[in-house]
Amino acid sequence: MQLTILDRIDRPAEDVVALILRGAHGPLAPWEPGAHVDLALPNWLTRQYSLCGDPRDRERYRIAVRHERLSRGGSDYVHRYLREGRTLEVSLPRNTFRLVPAPSYLFLAGGIGITAIVPMLRAAAGAGVPCSLVYAGRTYASMPFAGELRAAYGDRVTIVATGHDGRPDLAALAAGLAPETVVYCCGPASLLADCEAVFPAERLHVERFRPQPRTFGPDTAFDVACARSGRTVPVPADESLLDALNHAGLPVPAGCREGVCGSCEVTVLEGEPEHRDDVGAAPGRMYACVSRSRSPRLVLDL
Amino acid sequence: MTRQNAPVAERRPRRVSMEQVRERLGEPDAMIKSKIQDHIGEHTRRFIAHSPFLTMATADASGRADCSPRGDYPGFVKVLDEHLLAIPDRPGNRIADSFRNLAENDGIGLLFFVPGSRETLRVNGRAYATDEPDVLARMQTEARTPELAIAVDVEEVYFHCGRALIRSRLWDPAGQALAGELPTLGEMAVAQFGLDVDPRLLEARLEEGYRKLY
Repeated sequence: MQLTILDRIDRPAEDVVALILRGAHGPLAPWEPGAHVDLALPNWLTRQYSLCGDPRDRERYRIAVRHERLSRGGSDYVHRYLREGRTLEVSLPRNTFRLVPAPSYLFLAGGIGITAIVPMLRAAAGAGVPCSLVYAGRTYASMPFAGELRAAYGDRVTIVATGHDGRPDLAALAAGLAPETVVYCCGPASLLADCEAVFPAERLHVERFRPQPRTFGPDTAFDVACARSGRTVPVPADESLLDALNHAGLPVPAGCREGVCGSCEVTVLEGEPEHRDDVGAAPGRMYACVSRSRSPRLVLDL
Repeated sequence: MTRQNAPVAERRPRRVSMEQVRERLGEPDAMIKSKIQDHIGEHTRRFIAHSPFLTMATADASGRADCSPRGDYPGFVKVLDEHLLAIPDRPGNRIADSFRNLAENDGIGLLFFVPGSRETLRVNGRAYATDEPDVLARMQTEARTPELAIAVDVEEVYFHCGRALIRSRLWDPAGQALAGELPTLGEMAVAQFGLDVDPRLLEARLEEGYRKLY
């Protein structure tokens, strides 16, 4: 964890605050576009937010938080109770949404999903790589950073206020997509689903804030052998792998517990995991909060 | 009960009337009465948002009362608006005393604590069980959503002075040594149910159960 001081709270849009977090003991850990951090709130909750500042600024991080209507206690706390000057613990940056080198980029953002995209656009434009952004939101007033993005990148940025202009024409964008262009999309489930329907999967990178609704086979029990501790932990059908490990006294860190943030990654040595996450586990890795096992036994590097 | 533990006095402590109580205590300050509010204001809202623990008093139709503890992360009680609170029902002993009481008698008294704060917050009102999806959705913790919540229509809200917590040294870490003087839960269970098992075995089972909180 890194200790930061909440230097400033800005209001870049309706129902959105941006927090400027300065390192309490000098420079903060470096990061690359697409990275997010866990923010430990005073009410003991931990939430994940994309870093939306400038990676070259090692003194401070910027995150932006929308006040969710059905907040479970994270965004509500940030909006109502956080005060400037308070110290806050922030994790090291984690990146499950890396900007891969490409000859050109199309960025698509919906609402608060713009936070992950802002540093990507800056990096691509700064490197002279052709790129454009289509940024959709309900109303212009609800869209953070719309003004600053237009000012910085001009015509490369298209703002779509869906309440007024209707939804962006993704089919037209897909039809006009150059064969080498890579697409990055972050936003609500509906936008991601629309993108997945029109853009080629191998050139589309998405990041979700909530898991996509999917159905899986019935949850079954399995055993987990922990290679380093030499212990075997049974995982009952009605318990997650993460909970079973934690209850057995083998703590695994957890963030979202919904398979989107990547903080509970564990290394699989043997067995066949059933991946149910929305991060996209690398070979030999799995996310313990949602994923289970196809084989009766898994061996983990724990 | 052994003779040794019986009250020193052979008769019941004598009863005094409310008039006599008033005579002994005197009248409360006018300011104390006026501090009672009928809604959740800015400061009370902040207090509730930082409170991980409360006690909840309810009674059945005949007046049989009980009081139960409720605890979770700070802010687990949701302020839905300035006259309405919601308290999640987390897995417990399934006895459902509070729910049964509220079904007969909707009066409720809540006392909120914030660790380190000497003042406590009292909220009294009328309550009922709810399964409203939008309310339960806001209470999701560790990927689990409660089945039920208690909705409280707020009638009286006020801060209670800190004397009781000051005198009790409630937040003084040195006070935690007191728990070491108690029998363990395992020892109490073995004695109460006349079990022929090692209390430490029961203790281990209970500890295991405590790891699963949601």
